[in-house]
Parts: sequence; structure tokens; C-alpha cells
Amino acid sequence: MSKKQVDLYPYSYDMTENEPHMPDFIVIPENTDQLVQLVKFCNENIIPITPYISGNNVGGLTIPEHGGIIVDFGKKMNKILHINDTMMYALLEPGVTFGQLKKHLDENYPRLRYSYPNAPPYASVIGNALLSGMTNLATKIGSMGDAINGLEVITADGNIARIGSCFYGKDEADPDSWWGRGPIPDLGGLFINWQGMTGLITKCAVQLWPNHPVKKPYLAIFFGLTDVAPFLREVGKAEIVDDIVAFSIEVAKMEIGIPEPKRYPEEPAYSAVIPMSAPTENMMKAKEEILINIVKELNQKGTNIHLINYNEFSKLFGLKARTIYELPAVILNLVEYSGLTWFGSYAPLHKFEDLIERTDALFQKHNVPPYIMMKTLKSSHHGIFRPIFRFKKFEDQERMVKLVEEITDLCINEGCIPYKTPKWMTAKMREKINPGWINLFEKIKKCMDPNGIFNPGRWNT
Amino acid sequence: MVSVKIDDDITGKEFLELSFDHCIKCSTCKYSYKDYEPICPSGEKFLFESYWASGRIRIIRGLINGDLEWTDDLKDAIFACPTCGGCMDSCQAPHADYIVDMIEALRELAVKHIGPGPNQKKLIERTLEKFNPYDEANSDNEELKKKWDLPDKAEWVYYIGCTSNYRQQVIRDATIKFLKDAGIDFTLVDEHCCTSPMVRTGQVSIAKEFMNYNIAQIENAGVSKVVTSCAGCYRTMQKDFEKFGAHMNFEVYHTVELIKQLLEEKKIKFKGEYNKTVTYHDPCHLGRHMKIYEIPREVYKKIPGLRLVEMKRNRNHAWCCGAGGGVKIGYPDWAVEISGERINEAKETGATVLSSVCPFCRTNLIDANEKYGGDFEVLDLLEIIDEVGIEKVEN
Repeated sequence: MSKKQVDLYPYSYDMTENEPHMPDFIVIPENTDQLVQLVKFCNENIIPITPYISGNNVGGLTIPEHGGIIVDFGKKMNKILHINDTMMYALLEPGVTFGQLKKHLDENYPRLRYSYPNAPPYASVIGNALLSGMTNLATKIGSMGDAINGLEVITADGNIARIGSCFYGKDEADPDSWWGRGPIPDLGGLFINWQGMTGLITKCAVQLWPNHPVKKPYLAIFFGLTDVAPFLREVGKAEIVDDIVAFSIEVAKMEIGIPEPKRYPEEPAYSAVIPMSAPTENMMKAKEEILINIVKELNQKGTNIHLINYNEFSKLFGLKARTIYELPAVILNLVEYSGLTWFGSYAPLHKFEDLIERTDALFQKHNVPPYIMMKTLKSSHHGIFRPIFRFKKFEDQERMVKLVEEITDLCINEGCIPYKTPKWMTAKMREKINPGWINLFEKIKKCMDPNGIFNPGRWNT
Repeated sequence: MVSVKIDDDITGKEFLELSFDHCIKCSTCKYSYKDYEPICPSGEKFLFESYWASGRIRIIRGLINGDLEWTDDLKDAIFACPTCGGCMDSCQAPHADYIVDMIEALRELAVKHIGPGPNQKKLIERTLEKFNPYDEANSDNEELKKKWDLPDKAEWVYYIGCTSNYRQQVIRDATIKFLKDAGIDFTLVDEHCCTSPMVRTGQVSIAKEFMNYNIAQIENAGVSKVVTSCAGCYRTMQKDFEKFGAHMNFEVYHTVELIKQLLEEKKIKFKGEYNKTVTYHDPCHLGRHMKIYEIPREVYKKIPGLRLVEMKRNRNHAWCCGAGGGVKIGYPDWAVEISGERINEAKETGATVLSSVCPFCRTNLIDANEKYGGDFEVLDLLEIIDEVGIEKVEN
């Protein structure tokens, strides 16, 4: 534990535009029993608790809005507790990072893989899963939140609850019992996406996936501004790819080290990296054939899309070009300055053309190179629309915040649902959300956290 | 440019400025990149974000813009770091190469406001009085010159460095013997501390004067090349002299570079064999700071009979010995604890000899070897070569 100003200070801020606030204490717990005592004490004395792992959420979510105690899970509660290779899941403490899990699987379970985001390698697996973060298996499996098997949580009264198939038994759960969430009332919904407002998660089981031996990534380039939208929809539906990560051409240029990203006339507007995997070469060939045919059909209908073997392409640009594909990795252009924020949202795929055109126009209006990433989730049931903003905090924040706000207004009006939301964004959402939802949400929050100790301020609570 | 005022007389001012609009605190500095192993002795020990590179960068901002007050509470976060450069190697952002410079600039600023780190004042006090940080009477090296029959003027100067001259004299003696046996035309000078201990701990007031003194001594010997057996001196001459505006008109070599060159040019050959398994510890000042990883390995591999095995963390991912950055004097127990982790890692290799090419690493590895029951022979490469013996090849 520390209350030294110098130790508190680095926890007071994050990479985003959200205003810093100092905590009063930092606590580094070692086990659940210590946390039960801490929660009981805080609940009795009405002391805020903000969970922290690496603070990489891009939403200001670990900034202690009302001071109190930051619980830093990242330093000691970071153990991989169990891998079940039959039912393919990992039971983890909150501090486990993507890099740590990847190393463990590669060394011990090479036939299994996890799904990795475009986050730094040392972001938290559980943090990202609880906030429904993205994965590089998104087209196949959806978000990381969709792939949670079970949770162990401490509620405000100090009760420890196990959620999911691990719920049997009075004592410690059998590590092989964390295989699913149904078919019981899904109490996971009381914690997933709640930004730490309803309890402290101390264990979480996440699904793993077969690590197919045959891998082939493609690169697609899109010459028409909105050509990427039908591609996302149609390729997603075909169930042949692991993921599609589409990004504006300016991003692609930055990724291969071009310092002044501009889009020149006649250049493609978007590109997409499309990782594919298969258990056999024959299956891969079949998938490739389907992909090529989809592109042909789309081009016959008027798009201008080119498919390129990504491995060949990346030979031109070496490691830099591979970082966006070989995850977990640092996406170099995201760490260029001191500030980073986004409007990361789940979005209706049928509105992508409109979203792309209008968002692009806003970037141009503010003279900022468009930085937009898109994905399609779960066979294109819906998509991810994610304008990203890199900026120098001490020089450029005001200008960038204006742009983010305008894009937020536009996208919320189009029905996009942002995730990992800072409170200024949830304030905008609340204006649009139906009162019945707000009423139920407030009741649940009050019930779960009567004294308002869990990450107060989130969602404007 | 930042809008706040930074003291103009801070040598590292540009690095303090750099901290303002770089670093998103992504945690990549905490572990070896793509290898996912712990790389930061300071963070691993003290855990709070303030002890990792990103935290220190934020502390710079806080101190300069007034969010943080100058108090003694700051000292551990600022000085409990061996500046091993693990963060610098792991970070993928554009400021990566300057992280150690940022930390050293923060220390310089801290020395001005709250004084040096624990016990570190002795470094500068002793050096001012006796020209070395070990509180030993200054050796002008005239006796050594006589003993080894060295000339006043030569092509090379062997810059011994304080640790080899006052503590790890086996390295000094083995190096002199090697240079003699190799037929190198060299001499010694009345050298003063290279200032590495001061630069690393933010006590830079004497740096330029000492650097210029050493340059003058070396140049007066009429040499065109300097060789040193100390990774710290090597780093300081190669990188810091220029940073402090001390200009030298000679080339600087680490002994491993000279040995490799002599072997490649077939000017020397080994006389005997060394039938032992050796693991090599990369000194931070030669490895991450100067990117010299393969040259020492090439030399070890050329020694007949020697079997070189690698520790799990090696080259740019090597775990620090814990002695540098003022930690050995400021936090002596922790310094040995850091080295203890290296000893344990060396045990996994099956080696019987733990070797390096830095006298300061040797000091700390020996301390940890004793404390943690390493049972290794801890030897500098030059000691191994001394045991094997070399002879000059007449072409």
C-alpha cells in the first residue's frame, strides 16, 4: 500500500482526454481474502474503490473520479490459474496480460490460442474481456466479452460469488468446472460491461480456440471510399475468415512508417488485413476461393477492391507491416504521442456507408488525417466502427476533443453503441437512451452497490 | 514545445521536454518485447507505477508543471533504478532511445531540488577529492607503467577505469598482460574517473571538467585509440562525452572489440584450451546502451574448448546485474538481490563459469554468487583469456 504523492500520481491519469484525479491510496493485493476485507472496510466507511490493471482502456476508466483506493491487480494477482485443453479455456487472475497468456500457450499448449486485440501486449486479458474488447477472431467469435465462461466476484457486502458452470459446491471450485455460462440466469450480466461499478472480479475464465496450423493473411485495398462496407458484410457472412481489420489508408501508411499520412487522389481509401486459418491446406484453398469469388462479385456490382497476399506485401515493409497482424503487438502509430482516445463502438453494419462518409468528412473538416478502424463481428451480425485520435496532450488536446465530440454525436445518432465509455460520452448516451433502461440500470446499480463505492462516477452514477 | 519553464541550466533539459508529449503509459516498457519476460528490476521490486519508466516520465511532467512537490518522498522513485535500459529496449515508441536520458535528466533536476539519492553524494565528494569514487588515493599509474615497461607515448591508451584499478585489479592486470602479449603499442595515463557514476546519478556538475581532463591526458600521450575493459567507461566515453560537449580526437574501443579484431586479422592466437562451460552476462552499458551483443560471444566461441551456453534472458533481453545507475551504493542489498536473480538464471544453464566484460558487473555478480550460493567461478573474459594464454602471430 502507498499513500505517497509520487506513487499516487501516475495512477491519476491515462492516455485519454479525461481529467486526471488523484487517488488517496494505492493497494496491491495478493489474494481474494485481502480484497474481501478491503471491500467490507470500504463499504462500511464509504470509500471508493477503482480497479486498475494496466490502465490501457482508452476510456479514463481507471481514473479515480472521487479519489479513494485504487486496487492495482496487475502486479501480484496475475497468475494463470488453469488451462483446460479439453474444453479450451483459461482460468485467470485479473492481472494476466495478453503477452503472458500467449507465451504460456505457445510454450505449453501450442494447439491452443487466445484472441488478441490491437492493444499493447501488456494490457489485461480480463480487463478487455469485461469491457467487451475486440479480438483478432472477431469475425468468427465476436467480442472478448462473448467468450467469458465464468467469473469470481466480490460484491459490496464482501460476499464471494462464482458465476457460470463453476457455481456448484461450497468450497473452492474445481478448476475444470469453468466451462460455460448457461443455462442458468446469467449473473455475468451484472458485471460484464459495468466498468467495475458492481463488484470486484477476482477470477475469470475465458475461452481459448484451436490454433490451426495453416495460416494465411490477405490484404484488401478499397479504392472507393465506402467499398469496404459491403466487403465487411459479405466476407463476414461467408464464415471463412478469423477477422477483418479494416482501416483508413492513412493508418496503413503510418504503419509502414510514412510520416505524413495523406490520401492522394486515385489512391485507395481503405485497406483491410484479413487473417485466415484452417486445419488443412485443402480447407484453406477452399476458403481462399470463396474470398476471391466474393471480391469478384462485389467488383461486378461496382466496387473496386484488390486482394493481395499479405505475406508477400509485408516482405516489402518487414516487421513494421506485420505488427498489425502478428498480435499481441504494439501498433506503432498508436504510441507516437502522449495522447490517445477513440469513439470505439458497436455499430449497425447497414449504416457503415453513411458512417464512413460522414466521419471522413469530419476528419477532413478538422484537418486531421482520418484514422478509422472497422471490424465485423460474429459472421457479420454487427460491426465495430472505431475512429481513433492520436494527439499531443499538452499541445493538441482541445482540438482533438472537439473532433471526438462531433464524431460521437454523429455516431450515437446513427445508433452506434460506444464501449469503454468515459463519463462525458455516457452523458451524451443517456440523453438518447430510453427512460425505462435508465431506470432499471439505476435500480440494479443501487442494489449491487448501495453505498456507491465501486468506481463511482462511471456512467454518471 | 511545453508551455512550462524548465531550468535552463539542466544539461538534460531537452529530455525533460521530450517527456511532456510522449508516452501513453502502455506498459510495453515493463517486459521484454515479444519475449514477455520481466525486464525492469525497479518495477519488479517496488511494483507501483512510479517505479516503471512510464511512471517516471509522468513524474517528470508532474514536477515540472507543479502537480508534484519536491519532497524526500520522491527519492526512491527517482533513484531506485539501475538505468539498465530494459525499458528503452522494450518500448516501441519514438522516445524509446531516450528513456534513460530522461531518467538521468530527472535525477539531475532532483539533485538540484532535493539532493542526490541515498548515499550517492559520496560518489561526487570522493571523486572531487581523490579523482575516483572508491575513496582510494589516486593512482597516477606511473608504477604500473614501470612494472610493465610501458612508454610515455604510444598508439593506444589503456583506460583502466576506477573499478578495475581500485577493486577488480585482476581485470586490469589480465588486460595489460593481454595487450603486452598481443604486441599492442600502448601506455597508461594519470586517468581520473570517467564520471559515469556521477552522470548516472544526476550529479553532473563536475562531468565536463573531468571529461576534458581525461581527454587531455589521453591526447598528451599522442594516441589515436583508447581501449577500456570497463563497459561503464566505454559507454560514458562513447555517448556521454559528446552529450556534455567534451570533444575527443581518438577512437574508443572496448577490449572485446580489439580482441575480435586481432583474432579476425589473425594477429593473435590462443595457446591453450579452456574446457569449461561458460555463460555470458551482457553488461547493460555494453549491451542495451551500446548494442554490442555478438562481439563478446564471437570471442568466447573462439576460445578452444570453451562451451558457451545462454541464459534464458540474453542479449537485449538480459536481466541487469543490479549494480549500475547508483544502485550499488544507494541500495546495496537490493543491488545484490537483483544480481541474485541473474545467478539463479545462470544456474539453469549448467555452466560452471559466469563471465562478463564489465568490472562492475563482476563485483555485483560475485557478491550475489556468495550470498545466493551460486558456486560459480565469476570471471571477466580477460581472466579466461589470461588463463588460456595468447601469443602474437608474426605475419
